[in-house]
Amino acid sequence: MDKKILIITADNLGLSKEQIDYPDIEILKFPVVVNDKEYRGSNEYTAQWLNEKYLKEKVVAKTTSIVKGELIEIVEKNKDKYDLIIHVVMSSEMSIATFTIAKNVKEMYENTIPIINIDSRQVLSGVGNVLLEVIDIIKKNDNTDDIIKLSQEVVQNTFNYFVMADLNYLYRGGRIGKAKALMGSVLRITPILGLMGDDKEGQVIPLGKGRTFKQVNSQIIDLIKAKMAEKPATVIKRLNIVGFGDNKDAFSDLEEKLKTIPCDDFIIGKADFVSAVYCGPKSYTVAITI
Amino acid sequence: MIQTENKTAVIRERIENIYKYLHRHKEYINRLNVFPVPDGDTGLNMTLTIQGALANLQDYNEEPISTGEYLNHFSEQMLINSRGCSGVILSLYFQGVSQVIVNSDFSKENIFKALENGYKNAYEGTENPQEGTILTLMREFKEKYGELMKEDDDPVIIIKKCIPYLKEVLKKTPDMLPVLKQAGVVDSGGAGFVIILQGINRELSLNELAFSSLPVSIILNVNRVTKKYLNGKLSNFNKNSIAALLPHLGIEKLHNIRLHNIIEDVKSLINNLQSNKNRLLNKKAIISDLEDMENSWNPEIKLKYCTEFILKTNKVSSKEQIKEIIDKYGDSLIILNSGDKYKVHIHTNKPESVFKDVSKYGELLFTKVDDMKKQHRNFISSDTVDYEREKSIFCIVSGEGFSKILKELGADDVLCYGKNKPSVNHLVKELNKLRTKNIIVAADDKDILMALKYAASLSKSNVHIVESNNVISLISMIMGISKELDITTMFESIMRSLNDTRFCGIARSVRNTIAENGKTVNKNDFFVVYNGKIILSDKNLEQIINKSIKELIKEESLITIYKGIPAKKQKSIIPKLEKTFPELDFEEYYGGQYQYHYYITFE
Repeated sequence: MDKKILIITADNLGLSKEQIDYPDIEILKFPVVVNDKEYRGSNEYTAQWLNEKYLKEKVVAKTTSIVKGELIEIVEKNKDKYDLIIHVVMSSEMSIATFTIAKNVKEMYENTIPIINIDSRQVLSGVGNVLLEVIDIIKKNDNTDDIIKLSQEVVQNTFNYFVMADLNYLYRGGRIGKAKALMGSVLRITPILGLMGDDKEGQVIPLGKGRTFKQVNSQIIDLIKAKMAEKPATVIKRLNIVGFGDNKDAFSDLEEKLKTIPCDDFIIGKADFVSAVYCGPKSYTVAITI
Repeated sequence: MIQTENKTAVIRERIENIYKYLHRHKEYINRLNVFPVPDGDTGLNMTLTIQGALANLQDYNEEPISTGEYLNHFSEQMLINSRGCSGVILSLYFQGVSQVIVNSDFSKENIFKALENGYKNAYEGTENPQEGTILTLMREFKEKYGELMKEDDDPVIIIKKCIPYLKEVLKKTPDMLPVLKQAGVVDSGGAGFVIILQGINRELSLNELAFSSLPVSIILNVNRVTKKYLNGKLSNFNKNSIAALLPHLGIEKLHNIRLHNIIEDVKSLINNLQSNKNRLLNKKAIISDLEDMENSWNPEIKLKYCTEFILKTNKVSSKEQIKEIIDKYGDSLIILNSGDKYKVHIHTNKPESVFKDVSKYGELLFTKVDDMKKQHRNFISSDTVDYEREKSIFCIVSGEGFSKILKELGADDVLCYGKNKPSVNHLVKELNKLRTKNIIVAADDKDILMALKYAASLSKSNVHIVESNNVISLISMIMGISKELDITTMFESIMRSLNDTRFCGIARSVRNTIAENGKTVNKNDFFVVYNGKIILSDKNLEQIINKSIKELIKEESLITIYKGIPAKKQKSIIPKLEKTFPELDFEEYYGGQYQYHYYITFE
């Protein structure tokens, strides 16, 4: 790699900083508003902290878009040190404000430094997967057109499956989309939601449901296998499984089941503060790139 | 003009009397149920099938028809209004019988042919036909009739003589079907059939029926002979001989007005009442009339069945290859291809041969055979359908609670039929009401399946029937459905998930019986049915619930209790269960099933 490339992303990746093997990275922090007070992810304010607040204090939490000034500050600080900036952004369908800010900043600096905004079309660990794949791409290729083209392929081949123990967190956060159909059932159900990279609408969609976590885990395996058959692919390039706590048995069961599928890079990610807003306790997700 | 005698009112009265006779014995038939719960509804289904047919049968006062034609219309109405397996099989039987006696030939030989055809029609229309059922009685009836036919000429006497023999056959049904033996009952459908025959015998013995219309075969012969005469092909016939023949044909019995009028014209022609020129024109017109009439009786339906299937194959690489395999069987071939799946439509007389040949190349995911006559009837009917939806998941359930649960879980449409199973007609109306191009339909009772299949063949939608037999499998089905999938993949996925959830039912016995394991179940005891067998019984409801959970739990962690109508007023059993089984999670919902106090699922 001849070009010096800076990557910018935000802290809703489902990964710890140590799991990102790239030194030139800046991670923006999404503001999280809990009962009208703003917080940012830190060693103190974590997914676990929020889950406890959810369970004990029944708090209401939301996120807002990234702060434009903070993004400008990062670009301003690095514009002379790098040849190219790649900004891996969460799904524009999920947060149009965040993507618009990224777009505006790119336009502001178009005569100063080239910026590629990659709409990951993902949230949670799906953004993390796209980020890691983009890093792999730029380690081998620094041609801008190639990076854009290959990143698009990654986005379209990244699929995220969420097991939401309680859909109300997603609903209150305004990200329920078509999954609203699964709310309000007499029978207690555990839904499987998904964000499919090849779905043109880019909305959270209901993919299945079960009465027990074991049932939904088996369904996720079937869904992943069906997706691999559809593409077709025999091996998963990268897989990131993230648990949001208080559901160890179900998480371990999914982990074991996932290990039966051939995978080049099996990651057990980290629940982040921002994603916890929408997931709530007992939820878990798996993102795959094929 | 001929004054056609209208016998339909008389025949209707006879059928109504037979219906009343069956109705009086309805409860006896209902009680002959394998499981000792009062959900046996064979008598009810048979009664409602005939009742529905009577209610929907036209009077035919304005356009009189023959006895055979009237009975044929009645059998069609029976099929449309049939309920449950017993109702459908009975309707198929009468359809087969009426197909033969439509010619109003009630000679003993023709009735024998009718009984043979009735049995054949019912047998072939029944999936997995078994001995010891109504089908055995139908077969034995025609065989005994054939045997007694050598001794007697009067069909009424032959039928009467068959009945004691059939009662003996009925008594032997428990020896043919082990489940009947265990339950200590004879087959309920067979019992219903014998009661109907007794009703028929009663009517025929008390009130002699004069079947005096000329059979179609004779009408057609008159037609042919007359035509040959007019064409000059019967050289030894002269006008006097045909003129002499016509009065002996029993023209007063010729209820077919059209032929009657033609024969009147022939008479006029023979009597030389017209000029030679007019005579020639008139002769041609009569021949044309005769040909038209013959054609209307013998319509040329070369390829009877509209056949569809979906073949999943990796051995076929093109539509042309499919064409080569089945082209010889018919016409109107349409082949659609998507990946390794081929959807094929063909008109043929040999749907089974088509399926057999193509199945050598892969797996048949879906098959559908429609009678073209029925299709034509659908096509020409006035209530054409404008589809409003592409697909729908349609559930048919008895319990109100389950209806709500399924709707909220994502079933697009739910029919809650309550206590009485829906008729074919009801199901057709419900299917058409959905205005949906593709419908996946599943019912909570296997007794609805046959009616559903007939309803599907009459529906204007593409109906994919899920062969479910309990409400728990419907919940599994809805839980496993991904609506993003295309209809075929969705159907395949449903079939995979259908029996994912193990469950048992707990009910109270209405009579003493012996379970599969040899243990006695006393009247008023509670008993547990698992996989179609009684596995436990106990006087105490709480104890039997505990026992069934201990016996049936494997690796599951969630136990769901669906409360039925008999347990509606019972307090929740969850707190006690949570104490007894602290390692398990329990949930309780109202299902609203009629006979079972509880369904218990293990997940």
